[in-house]
Parts: sequence; structure tokens; C-alpha cells
Amino acid sequence: MSVLNNAIEFKSVFKTYGDNTVVDNLNLSIPEGKITVFVGPSGCGKTTSLRMINRMVEYTSGTILVNGEDNTARPAHELRRSMGYVLQQAGLMPHRTIVDNISTVPRLNGVSARQAKSQALELLNTVGLDESFAKRYPSQLSGGQAQRVGVARALASESSILLMDEPFSAVDPVVRADLQKELLRLQSTLGRTIIFVTHDMDEAILLGDYVAVFARGGRIAQFGTPEEILREPADDFVASFVGRDRGMRRLTFASGADVPIHPLDAQQTPWQQWQLNVEDGRPAGWRIDDRVIPGGSLFVAGGTLRDALDSVLSSPSGWGVVVNEQGQVLGLLKSDDVLEATERERLNRYGVSA
Amino acid sequence: MNIFDKTWAWFTADGAWTDSGGIFQRLLEHLGYSGLILFFAALIAIPIGLWVGHTGKGENIVVGVTGALRALPTLGLLTLFALWMGLGLTAPVIALVILAISPLLAGVYSGIAAVDPITVDAARAQGMTEWQILTRVELPLAAPLIFGGLRNATLQVIATVTIMAYINLGGLGRYLIDGLAVRDYPRMVAAVVLVAVLALVVDALLALIQRALTSPGTR
Amino acid sequence: MNWLQSNLQHVGELTALHLLQSIIPVIIGTIIAVPIARFAMGRRRDGRSTERTTSAGKLRRGLVINSAALLYTIPSLALFVLMPLVLGTSITSLLNVYVALTLYVIAMMVRSAVDAFDSVSPVTLEAATAMGYRTTRRFWAVELPLAVPVMIAGLRVALVSNISMVSVGAVIGIQSLGTLFTDGLRRDLPAEIITGIVATVLLALVLDRLLALLGSFLTRWRTA
Repeated sequence: MSVLNNAIEFKSVFKTYGDNTVVDNLNLSIPEGKITVFVGPSGCGKTTSLRMINRMVEYTSGTILVNGEDNTARPAHELRRSMGYVLQQAGLMPHRTIVDNISTVPRLNGVSARQAKSQALELLNTVGLDESFAKRYPSQLSGGQAQRVGVARALASESSILLMDEPFSAVDPVVRADLQKELLRLQSTLGRTIIFVTHDMDEAILLGDYVAVFARGGRIAQFGTPEEILREPADDFVASFVGRDRGMRRLTFASGADVPIHPLDAQQTPWQQWQLNVEDGRPAGWRIDDRVIPGGSLFVAGGTLRDALDSVLSSPSGWGVVVNEQGQVLGLLKSDDVLEATERERLNRYGVSA
Repeated sequence: MNIFDKTWAWFTADGAWTDSGGIFQRLLEHLGYSGLILFFAALIAIPIGLWVGHTGKGENIVVGVTGALRALPTLGLLTLFALWMGLGLTAPVIALVILAISPLLAGVYSGIAAVDPITVDAARAQGMTEWQILTRVELPLAAPLIFGGLRNATLQVIATVTIMAYINLGGLGRYLIDGLAVRDYPRMVAAVVLVAVLALVVDALLALIQRALTSPGTR
Repeated sequence: MNWLQSNLQHVGELTALHLLQSIIPVIIGTIIAVPIARFAMGRRRDGRSTERTTSAGKLRRGLVINSAALLYTIPSLALFVLMPLVLGTSITSLLNVYVALTLYVIAMMVRSAVDAFDSVSPVTLEAATAMGYRTTRRFWAVELPLAVPVMIAGLRVALVSNISMVSVGAVIGIQSLGTLFTDGLRRDLPAEIITGIVATVLLALVLDRLLALLGSFLTRWRTA
């Protein structure tokens, strides 16, 4: 692993309200250009820790360095303008158009109206909204669209740091999956330092380059890559928090590439009564006798072992359907092959040869 | 002697409280008029407010009517009715009932309408009749806003009953109108103090009743 | 109708006087009430701030709202006749009406301005702070514009009530459409009183409509 610079460093940071310790001696280095996820149950201090970075919450003692500089060295409002912040409910200004909302921070920083506007229109495209949204007001957006605008607004600060406070938790699961994918796509080109707070372990594993698991009482139970945390939970708390579906989640980190793909006619064996319907090269359900049954989840070639296993388990015929990025059928997966691959992965993980 | 001493002297003069036309009599008259007016206003406004709030029918009419009633000048109604009906109690009572309907109706209607539709839906799903929903769910939940409307109406009525003296009726307004005629400031100041104290005491009583009648869960 | 035709000019003059006495107190009263209300709200840092539940904040808020309510218990007639005592004016001076009605408008508007500031979503305020707004700029650019809808609603009530209250000044001899009531009663002329009532209501409806239009102009973002 290459040496990473740290964008943000917490040094012995405490936050107390009266007798109540919310953040307990936090020491954490957040690497530059990566997504670091704070995850934990509610009341564990993860949001407070995030908000101490841009001083929406002032810490009681300790030091927080942002790009090597003490974050109390300059006025709070300047610090805040220097980093993007995405809130749980998008928190858009209802009295301003979308384009004006996105231009907020550049305008505060004294950028000319014209320049801020053209930059805002660009950002609208970046987050996947077309320019017809520019003149609308927030009340005319769906939850997912509002959240995209929230991300665009945070990106407009052009800072290297982006704080995201449970940004996708208020939208429905389908939209959430979309936004997560979009964020990863954006990050692959932008390479910002993102601190992302969530209470959802799946989201943490999906998005995080690094994950900090917070425990109640405001201490960090474990910090590491998602794979490390799933493989070796540091203690019982992390194990139980990661707990459910841990075996399945682990497969997220194993590639499904070496599971053999059988050509379509492999199903034409005498004992095989299931037929895959194909329309325009795309799968369109399974036929048995005279019935057509909708298919299961599709395995996109090159996906994870978890996807491969799911395609097999969810398929009515017991055969997983492999497609390419365009959705064209490439072939079929056999359940035995997938199980064998998980077996190989398990042995591999502990360095035991088969 | 400054105005406060003079007013104090007026309050403490022999027979100021107990004489015919004294403070006690005027207070009772003032309270009586106010009670009568609020009674009739409630008789009209509460059923209408409950019905509109519960059924959601005629909301626009209620909003429009409460606004229009607010615009009607009470002094104009008072003088007009006095000309038509003579100088009895009827004319001013009708004029002030019209004044009091607006805040009462607004309070009852908005109170019922503001009850969370999910709560009403849940009550209906449990098999409550519409009447039960109104009396056991909506009314208790709307109580704070209904009381708000009632207290608002009461304050306005107690303050406005003073102008009934303008058409030769009693009440604390007598001291204002009579004092004005002879530029007797201590008497007018006394009238203001009496009306304000009366309003505050009645409002405090209503607040206590409201506390006793509303569920701690809606406070 | 005959009465109105022969007195058209007089009614016109009284309407103009009534208009002045209605509008000036509303403008001055609102300008005074808004800062008082904002002060009563206390500091609002963000959505999670516990500031608003501190005992000092509650006390300040309760004090301001209750003194406004207390002011409202004083009969308008009483306030008109007492003004000369406080201001040293003559009893028929227009200033009495202006000051007394301004006090009423303050009493009404403080309450609705507090509600208006309350109606501004804490999430939006928090977002503005996180974006780097400082307190003063946030107030003018975010908090005040977002409080406008509720404030306009309060302003409409205050204006209409005020128009109705102006007429009471006639009892102590101050000229307005209310003069038609006192004069009509004395001369036994129902037509004169009805003219006064209709003119007052029309005035209220027109001004209310104008204010509503102003409100929807200022809050295009709500329905757009």
C-alpha cells in the first residue's frame, strides 16, 4: 500500500455535554482522496465527529488538523466555505432556484454571478441532472433529485474535502442504490477526500475505502478497510454490528470472474426442462412446459462472488444468467461451480491450499 | 397630585365600589354582557367549526367568512343596529356576537382540521363511528387550538364591550364615555385599569380550565 | 344612495383619512415588531441546537409574547383617550390614533413574526451555516425571506383588524369613516352608517388583496 497523506487528523478529541461524553478520545487519520465511512449505531458520536471537522459542533478538547492546519486557526465560516457539506435532508434553500442553490458557496466566496452560474450548470450535469432543472425551485424536486442537487452544491465549493452526513438515508432503496453508484462514479474521476456518515453497514462496505466503526460512548471500535473489518472484527461489538449476513457480505470482496460460464445450449440436456427466453439478446424469463416465469437477478460479467451466488439462488431454474454491461446474455452459471468458487475463496482467505 | 394619585383617590372614594353605578355594578354588567355575547357566538361558531373541520366541506367559505367578519367595523354595526332596533341590549349584543364569531370559528375549524389525518384514519380503522371520532379523537386533540380561539374571542369581547356605553348601556365603558365628556382623566384611567385586569383574570381562569380539560399528551 | 351621491366628496375625504390611519401604523408597527420578535427567538444556531429550550430563552420569549398579549387587552377606545396623557397631545390629535394603533399592530405582529421565524426549517438554517454563512448575512438572505409567508398572513390579519379599529376614533372626534357611524346615529341616518360600513369593508378587502398579491410576489418560490 502506498503512503497516503492525511487530509484530516483527529488528535485526542473529546466532546462532552455536561457529564455526558459523546466523543471519547478520538484519534483518527483520514487519508486524502479516499472515501472514509463513519458507521455505528445511533448515538455513537459519528455525526458529532463529522460536524466537529467543519465546527458545526465545537469540540471540548483536543486538536483537529485539516490539511495540516488546526481547524480553529481561522473563523468558522471561512472553514465551512472551504469544504462541501451534504446533509441528510438536502437542506436546500426553498426560496432559491436550483442553480442559485448550487452557486451558494461560490457566491459567498465572491465569485461573479455569471461564472458561478455556468459552473453550477456544469455541476448539474456532473450529478446527472439536465439543465432544465436549473430554473426550478426545490419544492419541485423528488427526494433523490434534491439530494443530487445537495451533492452538486457541496461540490461547488471546489474543495478537496466533502462531508456527507447520512446523505442517502432519507430516500427510498432504489434511489439510494442509484445515488450510491453515482457517488462512486463521481469519486473515480474527482478523487476528493470524502467523509461519509451512515448507520447502514452495507452502505459502509459498498462505499468506503476505509471504515471507522463507532461504538456507543463515542469511541472507535475499529478502523480499517471494509474487508479487514469483515474478516477480523476487532471485538464482540464490531462482530455483532457487522454480524448479520457477514458471510454473504464477505463474498462482496471476492471476484466471480473465475466461475466458469456455460454457453446457452448447455441447458439443452435431456434432463433439463427449463428454457431461457431471449429477446433481442436480452434474457426474458424462463419457460417451463407452457409457463413463462420471470427470471432472477442477473450476474454482470466481472461482478463479485456475492452477485454470482445471488443470481444462482434467485433463478427459478437454478441456473444464474450472465450478461454483459449492455444487458446481452453471455451464458449461464451453474450452482455447483459457484459453491466451489466460494470454497476456493474460503481456503484462499486463510492461506490453506486445497 | 399626579394622575396616579388622583386615580387612586377615585378608586378609594366613599362608595366608589358599592354605590349604584359603582365599580361592582359596572363589573357585573361588563361580565354579564360579555358572557351573553360569547354564549351566543359559541352557539353559532362551534357547531359550524366542528362540522366544517370534520367533513372538510366548505373550508373556503369559512376562511372567507372569518376574514370578512374581521373587516366589519363593530362601531358601524353597533350604531346601525341601534338605529333599527332602538337602544336596548339586542342591537349591541348582535353586533358583538358578529365580532366574536370570527376568532371562535377560526379556532374550532383550524383545531379540528389540524388533527393528523393518520390519527383520524387509525380511529376509523378501529371501527369508531364518525361521531365517536369527532368527540373522542378530534375534539380532545383540537382542544388547545379551540381554547386559543375562545381566549382570543374573550379578550376581544371584554375589550369591545366598553363601546356599548356609547349607546347608553352600562359596563365599564360608562367610566370612559362619561369621563371623556367632562375630561375626567382619573376616571378614564380607572376604566382602562379595570378592563385590563378583568380581561387578564378571565383569561387566566380560561387558561386554568384549559389545563384541566386538555390531555397532558397534547400540551 | 341619495345620501351618498350628495356627500360623495365628504366620503372620499374620510376614506383618505381612514386609509392613512390604517396604513401608517401597520408599516411602523411591523418595522418595530420584527426585530423584537427576532430578539425573542434567541440564537438559532442549527437544527440540533438546544439553545431554544434554555430557561433564559424561554423566559425571554414568554415575556415578549405575553406583554404583547397584555397590550391587546386594553380597549382601543381607552388607548385613544389615554394617549394625550402619555404624549401631551390634544385629545383630537391624529397622533393619538397613530401611536395607539401602532401599539396594537406591534402586539399582533410580534406574535406572528415569532411564529414566522419558527416556521423556518432548522435544517435550512443549518445548511446555510454549514455552507459558511455568518449570522447577519444568514438572517437577511435566508431566514427573513423564508419567514415572509407566515409574516404576510399575520400582516393581513393586523391590517384588516386595524382598518376596523380606526373607526372607533370617531367616538372621541377623530375624523375617519367612523365619523359616518357617530354622525349617522346622531342624525338618525341609516344610509350614512351603511355607507360607512360598506366603505370600510371595501377598503379592507382591497388592501387585503393588495397585500396578498405582494405576498405571492415575494414568495414565488412556494408555488412556482
